[in-house]
Amino acid sequence: MAELRGAGDEPDDGDASVRRLAADAGDAAGEVRSRHEPSPRAEYADVLRQETAKPNAGQADMSPVDADQAGADQAETDQGPEASIADVLERFDPRRAGLPEVSREDAAAYIEEHMADRPWLALVRDCSPDAQRVFVALDQGGGHAHIRHDGWVTEEMNERRVKNLEDPAQLDLEKREAHLDGIKGGNQSHRCGVLATRITDPEAFATAVARAAEHPDVRAALDSTGPFSVPVRLPISDVLGEDGYKFCAGSQLEPVNGSMIEAVANRTAWVQGDRSVPEPRTRPVGTFEGGTLTFTFRPSAFDGHEFNTILVNPPDTQSI
Amino acid sequence: MNQAYWARNPQGPFATLIALTAAYCHPEAYDGAYADLTARARSAAPDDEQIRVFKEELGEALADPSRLPDDELFKAVEFDDGSDEAFLRRLWRDLYGDEPA
Repeated sequence: MAELRGAGDEPDDGDASVRRLAADAGDAAGEVRSRHEPSPRAEYADVLRQETAKPNAGQADMSPVDADQAGADQAETDQGPEASIADVLERFDPRRAGLPEVSREDAAAYIEEHMADRPWLALVRDCSPDAQRVFVALDQGGGHAHIRHDGWVTEEMNERRVKNLEDPAQLDLEKREAHLDGIKGGNQSHRCGVLATRITDPEAFATAVARAAEHPDVRAALDSTGPFSVPVRLPISDVLGEDGYKFCAGSQLEPVNGSMIEAVANRTAWVQGDRSVPEPRTRPVGTFEGGTLTFTFRPSAFDGHEFNTILVNPPDTQSI
Repeated sequence: MNQAYWARNPQGPFATLIALTAAYCHPEAYDGAYADLTARARSAAPDDEQIRVFKEELGEALADPSRLPDDELFKAVEFDDGSDEAFLRRLWRDLYGDEPA
């Protein structure tokens, strides 16, 4: 656990050779979080139950787009809005999201096998089998949404990312502090927009993926066999329900001289050692109520596209 | 709904330029996205209408960056070049080298 406390979340005075996330990272993540912020874990299920008790709550404009979905949508009609939310994880089809097929049993085994080296998986160890399946499908794909934008990332990690370009996905702490990207190969410098945000609850995160995968605009992007798919932005309330914004958190860069363009340029200069520019300043996002989720895409190893990432946007600052 | 520029204005000025740069140049774009755009631009198929429009709009934006819709390019790309013009110049140079815009 001491290793994770040195993972950019706590001051580290340990041996650099062991300053790398390892085995019980999941437990450590929970310990770190408990000292910094309340965990919303397990609350999302309660919110869903409350949401589904309301007529039409959480009903996004997600009409079926092909015959495969018709049966599921008929079932949704038969069982009411509660089923539409409760079943969305169950009917998630990884292959329709450009991801490898994963069974619930295989997902559980994959998490046990890999969570030591991939700490974002430890977060879903106690989640429902359906949520686990979503995470494992994503982890076997090429995107990074579940690595940078879900609950294993702490607010301190988000703040350090948007201020210092320290990538939570970079598990080598020396490389993280050197601003090297943890996803892109070849020791590329990490880049970040004006926000570093996440969905704090893994069940909510999995729900966002599964629900978005049924939205017509997202389906068009996933199904596209063209060279690229443009990002799709959806209201948080459509994807996660009316209270879904409560499960979003993050930090944002402060403008410089009223300009975010100047702030981003200054931040790059600052982390490269230029002290003629002001030190970057950040603040926690006040609220995500009325905000959006941006879904971006990448070519899939199978047909079409898969999710590349999911960005959580407050109402007054949209990313992409 | 608070949609992106290209969704609000699919036929609007510079919609193709802004949509493609969002997909290929944003910090959260996938690894290799910028290289994919570069390859696509340098070896554009004759029938790649999208990349033809993209190049045309890029040239027009470089000629007069003030014609770009307010802040939309930065919102789409979140570049760290310091200005629309600096980003566009870098993009043109990377994609088309010394070819006149």
